[in-house]
Amino acid sequence: MPPGNDTVIIGIGEYQVGSMPMASIGLGSCVGLVIHDRKTGNGALVHIMLPSSHGKTDRPGKYADSAIEVLIKELTKKGSSPADLIAKMAGGSAMFKTFSGNLNIGERNIEVIRKLLNEKKIPVKGEDVGGCVGRTIFYYPKENGKLVIKKGDGTLSEL
Amino acid sequence: MKLTHVQTDALQELGNIGAAHAATTLSTMLSANISMSVPEIKVIDIAEIHKYVGDEIAALVLFQVNGEVKPGGYLLLYIPKTSVIRLTNAMLGLTDMDRELDEMDRSALLEVGNIMVSAFLDGTAELLNIIMLPSPPQLVIDMPHAAIQSILASQESEDIDEVVLFKTAMVSDAHNIQSSIFLFPNHPMLEDIIRRLEEILNPPI
Repeated sequence: MPPGNDTVIIGIGEYQVGSMPMASIGLGSCVGLVIHDRKTGNGALVHIMLPSSHGKTDRPGKYADSAIEVLIKELTKKGSSPADLIAKMAGGSAMFKTFSGNLNIGERNIEVIRKLLNEKKIPVKGEDVGGCVGRTIFYYPKENGKLVIKKGDGTLSEL
Repeated sequence: MKLTHVQTDALQELGNIGAAHAATTLSTMLSANISMSVPEIKVIDIAEIHKYVGDEIAALVLFQVNGEVKPGGYLLLYIPKTSVIRLTNAMLGLTDMDRELDEMDRSALLEVGNIMVSAFLDGTAELLNIIMLPSPPQLVIDMPHAAIQSILASQESEDIDEVVLFKTAMVSDAHNIQSSIFLFPNHPMLEDIIRRLEEILNPPI
């Protein structure tokens, strides 16, 4: 399913707010987080790479903590009320087993996102996370916030 | 991060030598001519990586670069799925194209990856006059963007915003096999390599 011409591709560390279709290509340990407004049909997709910004502000979409803050702020600016927001997410896999470095970064991304959403009282209505496969996701705000997930093993699913 | 013209040229030369060594071994394994592209060197923002590597399933054989160079960089052999089957078939004298990747392909990939990447590093090490060695390989058959992204995220302490992408394509027309070698040096390794290259270009008197 190739993204249509009107689909906005959200690269690593980027986010977008609106009602147009959005997509993120090839999530590994990264997480594609959707915060969707059930009332207005607006929403946001962010491509989160790391759990914590450690106070950095230049790429808010890159880190779980700053990403959730900026998404809620932008959606509120567009007229959303926090009570109407729901979340969906996909990604956070562990694709490598033996290299040095932080191999559980996907898992930690997911943990931090869950905790922060819980603090903000935004319910997670669907998730496809973990495992060891890559994922490409398509988010359709106007279709009730549908999230289509294509996996590296060839399967296709919908949240 | 900005590379000067001289640095880009020097890296390109380094890549040329490495890729030529790797292409020679592939040519020997396949008993066929291999054409090789001029290495591309680009500084890419992480948000733009999806424009260079996508989510089309491919085989990736990954190595960390070790030895007398600052560690932390990765070398990666990338072969699209259909080319993997042609590669295994060419090596083993098979003809069946209509099949899924299996254990045979996996061992062929690890073998070819090991030989090509070792040759690549032999070439670059000789130029830099140091020892460069590949780690044991990791094989992933999945979305290339997802694999590369995971590697960059695993270097969390460096909090990477841009990468130096270094890519050479190698094609066997006779077997219709496409492959590329990517080098992702991390920052310390890149600085180390550039410093060594500059010393070679402008030797201290």
